[in-house]
Amino acid sequence: MKNIKVKINNKTHDLAVRDSELLIETLRDRLGLLGTKYSCLEGDCGVCTVLLDGKNCLSCLILSADADGHEVVTIEGIAQKGGLHSLQESFVKNGAIQCGFCTPGMILAAKALLDGNPSPTDEEIAGGLDGNLCRCTGYIKIIDAVREASQRLKDGK
Amino acid sequence: MENRTTNPVGKSVPRIDARQKATGEAVYAFDLKLPGMLVGKMLRSPYPHARILNIDTSKAEKLEGVAAVITAEDTFKIKFGSNEFFFPNTVDQMALESEKVRYIGDEIAAVAAVDEETAQKALSLISVKYEVLPAVFDAVLAMKPGAPQIHSAMNNIGVMMPVQFGDADKGLKESDYIREDVFVLQSAAHCALEPHVSLGKYEVSNDRITLWTSTQAPFKVREALAKTLRMAEADIRVVKLNVGGGFGGKLEMLPMDFAACLLSKKSGGLPVKICCTRQEEFSFTRRKHPMIYKLKSGVKRDGTLMAITGEVIADGGAYCSYGPTVVAASIMRIFMVYKITNIRIMGFRVYTNNPICGAIRGFGGVQSGFAIESHMDMLARGIGMDPVEFRLKNATDPNMTTINKLILSSNGLKDCIKKAAEVSGWKNKYANAKDKAKNVARGIGMAIAADVMGSKMYKAHESAGSIIKVEEDGSVYLFTGAADTGQGSDTAMAQIAAQELGVAYERVRVKAADTEITPFDTGSFASRVTFISGNATKNAATDAKKQILEVVASELKLEKDDLDIRDEQVVKKQDGSAVMSFDRAVQLCYSFNYGHLIIGRGSYNPKTTPIDFRTGEGNVSGSYGFEAQVAEVEVNKKTGQVKVIKMYDVHDIGYPINPMSVHGQIEGSIVMGIGYTLHENLKFNEGRVVNPSFSKYRIPRATDISPIESIFIETNDPQGPFGAKGMGEASLLPTAAAIANAIYDAVGVQIKDLPITPQKVLKAIREKEAV
Repeated sequence: MKNIKVKINNKTHDLAVRDSELLIETLRDRLGLLGTKYSCLEGDCGVCTVLLDGKNCLSCLILSADADGHEVVTIEGIAQKGGLHSLQESFVKNGAIQCGFCTPGMILAAKALLDGNPSPTDEEIAGGLDGNLCRCTGYIKIIDAVREASQRLKDGK
Repeated sequence: MENRTTNPVGKSVPRIDARQKATGEAVYAFDLKLPGMLVGKMLRSPYPHARILNIDTSKAEKLEGVAAVITAEDTFKIKFGSNEFFFPNTVDQMALESEKVRYIGDEIAAVAAVDEETAQKALSLISVKYEVLPAVFDAVLAMKPGAPQIHSAMNNIGVMMPVQFGDADKGLKESDYIREDVFVLQSAAHCALEPHVSLGKYEVSNDRITLWTSTQAPFKVREALAKTLRMAEADIRVVKLNVGGGFGGKLEMLPMDFAACLLSKKSGGLPVKICCTRQEEFSFTRRKHPMIYKLKSGVKRDGTLMAITGEVIADGGAYCSYGPTVVAASIMRIFMVYKITNIRIMGFRVYTNNPICGAIRGFGGVQSGFAIESHMDMLARGIGMDPVEFRLKNATDPNMTTINKLILSSNGLKDCIKKAAEVSGWKNKYANAKDKAKNVARGIGMAIAADVMGSKMYKAHESAGSIIKVEEDGSVYLFTGAADTGQGSDTAMAQIAAQELGVAYERVRVKAADTEITPFDTGSFASRVTFISGNATKNAATDAKKQILEVVASELKLEKDDLDIRDEQVVKKQDGSAVMSFDRAVQLCYSFNYGHLIIGRGSYNPKTTPIDFRTGEGNVSGSYGFEAQVAEVEVNKKTGQVKVIKMYDVHDIGYPINPMSVHGQIEGSIVMGIGYTLHENLKFNEGRVVNPSFSKYRIPRATDISPIESIFIETNDPQGPFGAKGMGEASLLPTAAAIANAIYDAVGVQIKDLPITPQKVLKAIREKEAV
C-alpha cells in the first residue's frame, strides 16, 4: 500500500492505494467516477482517457501511486459553472455522440488538444484523437464538434 | 421549458441522452455495482474439439472466497439458439457443455467469488479431463466425407439454403456474355467499445431473477433464459441500460448471461457480475461469417441480366446462432436490388471448430454486397456498358412484386443511382484515360444495395409496443420496448411521440427496454426499430391524443374529430384556431368532473408473409430501403496502397425522423465498411483467434477517414411512421464493392478477396503487367 495525495477534479484526496492499483480503478471503484470508461485495459482504445496535469493520459496504463502529487481531471471535472463545457455542448449539438462509450475519453482528448492548440486544422484534430477509438460515428461529427468547440472557446463562449 | 421544439420530426434535435453521455453520467451495465456483488468468470475449453471425460470442481469449491461453481450438472441441459422459429433444428448450443466442446472458448463451467483474483484462481483449480478429437477449421473440408463430425448434421452442413426461381440454365444459354467469379470474404469483429456484461441477481423470496445486460434484444434474452433455466418468463426481468454499441454482437443470450443468473441463485441470491475482457470479446463472443461466394451469371448485349447462379459457403463455426438467416439474407437481398427472374443459388451454413459466427451489422449483406456488386460491375464491363447504365437497366422499380414475392412499394433505387452518379461527377470521371507515368492513379466505382426493415427471427410475430402516459402537469412519458444501443432510437421514438401528440420534443421522457416495465419489442436488428417500433409509438401517441381530445370536445361541446393538437395547442382542424393550450387540456382531463388519466397504447406488426426457406419465396419485410454508393480512390502502383478520397452515399430513407442521426448512421456504416474493405481481418490459427486486441485488429481511427457526402432520397413510405424507413445497416453493404470497383477503374485489377491489402493490389498489378 502507498499513501498518495492527488488532486482530482479540483479536490485533493489523501488515499491509501495498493501498489498495483491502476488509476482507472481508483477513479471508478474507489471514487465512483464512472464517467471514465473501461474497455480494453491495454492502452489501445482511449475510452479511459483522463487529463494528468492537463495532458492526455490513459488511466488504464498508469499506477495510482504514480499520480501522487499530480492533478487529474476526469469528465466529471470539466463542466463549468452553470453548464457544460463548450466541448460537451458542441458534441451534443453536432451529433458526435451515439453510444457514448467513447465520449468522455474523446472529449478529454479533445480538451488536451485544444488547450495546447486553440486553432487546430482538421488534420490536427484527427491527430489529437487518433488514440481514441469510436465504432459508431465514423469520427466525422466528432471532428465537426471539436472544430466548432475551438471556435466557441476562442469566442469566449 | 427552455427549448421547445414542436413538430420535431424531420429536425436534427440533439439526442435525448446526449447530455448524460457528454458528462459521463450515463450509466451502462458495466458501471453497475450492487451490495455484496460477486465476480463471475467462465471456464472455457482450451481445445477446438474434444470429448469431456470428467470435470472436477471440488478444489475450486473449497477455495476461500468462492461462493459458487456451476457446471452442466447444475443445469437442465437445454439447448438454445437464435433461429428457432424458422430453423428449429439449428437450436444447438448449451449454456454449459457437458459432453463435448466444439471450439476454443466453449463454456464448460463458471465460478463466482469475492474478487477477480479469487475467481481466476478458482478457474485454475477446476480440473477437466478431455479426450482430444480431430478438428476441422475449413468449411470446404468440413463438408467432405470423413471430416470430423461436429454435431449430428450430415457433412457438417447446419443448414442448406436453396434459392431457385425461373430457369437459370435457360437464362445462361440465352445470354450473350457469361462470367464466373469467386469471392472470398474474411471474418470480422463487432468491436463495440463496451464489452459484454451480465449482472444477475436471484431473489430467494420469490424465485425470480433480474439480469442487467448489455443487449440489443432484452426480450430475446428473457426468452432464452426462461427456456434454459426452465423458469417462467414472468419470473425473469431483463433490463437494458445505456449500451456501448452492439452492431449485432449483443443480439442473443450468451452463456455468461445464463451463468450470471445461475451463479447468483447458487450463491444464495448474491448478485454476480461477469464482464468480458477485450480478448474474450474478440475470441469468444460472436463474429462475422467468412464466406466463399461463387457467382456465374449471364447478360444480353443490351445489358439485360438473364440469369444468376452460384454457391455460398459460410463457415459458421461451432454453433449456428443466427447463421441460417445470415446465409438466407446474404442471398435474398439480390431480389430487392435487381429485377431477376432466373436464379439458382445454393447456400450452405457449415459447422467448423472455429469460434461462433452470428449477426453483425449488414447480416450477410456485406459479404454478398461485395460479391454481387463486384460481379455486376465486371458483367457490365464485359459487354462494354457503363456500370451506372447497367444498374439503371436492371434495378428494381417502385410498386413491383419480385419473382420471390417481395412487395416493393416505395422504391427510390433508380433515383439513388442517378443522384449518386450526378453528385460524384461520374460521367467526367469514370473510365478516364490514366497517365501511365504517374505512380498514383485515381478511380471511381459504384455499388448499390437494399435492405429490409424487420424480419421474423425467434417469434411468429415481430411486434413492438409502446405506452404513453401524460401526467397532470403535462409531462409525457414514453415506455417502449425498443433497445437503443447508440443508434438513437430513444430519440427517434421521442420525436415521433411528440410529433403525433402535438407537443414539444423536450416534454418527452423515454423509459425503454425493461422486460418488466415496457411493452414487448423483438429487439434492435434488421434495421427494424424506426419502422416497427416507430409505428407502435405513433399509434400510442394517436391513442393518447384521442383521449385528450375527447375530454376537450365533451367540455366545449365540440366534435372530437374536428379537433387536433398542434404546437402544444388544441386547435380546430378546419382553421387551425386555438381552443386551449395542451397544458390546460391535460388539466381538464384530470379535473373534478373527468379524472381521466391519459394512457395511450400502440402496437405494430408489419404486414409480411412467411418465407419458404426451401425456395426463398415470401415477403420478409413491411417495406424496403435502397441506396447507391460511389467511391473515389487513389491507388499507388508502386506500393499497392489504396486511399479512399471521397465516398458519396445516396439513400432512400423514406423520410428522415432526425436527419443528423441518419447522417450519423450512414457515416458510421461507411467508415466501418472501409475498415472491413481495407484492413479488418479476424485471423485464426487452428481455431484460435490470433489478433484479439485493438492493437492487432485495427479498426478505423480518426486519422483514417475521408470525406463522406450523404444525400437523402425521400420516398415517404406509405407504411413508415411519417414516411420513415429503417436504414441502420444498408450503407455498409455496398462500400467494399464500390471501393473494389474504383480500384479497377484506377489500375485495371479487380480484387476478389477482402481485405484489399497493399500486397494483394501490388500482386494483381504485377500479374496484369506480366501478361
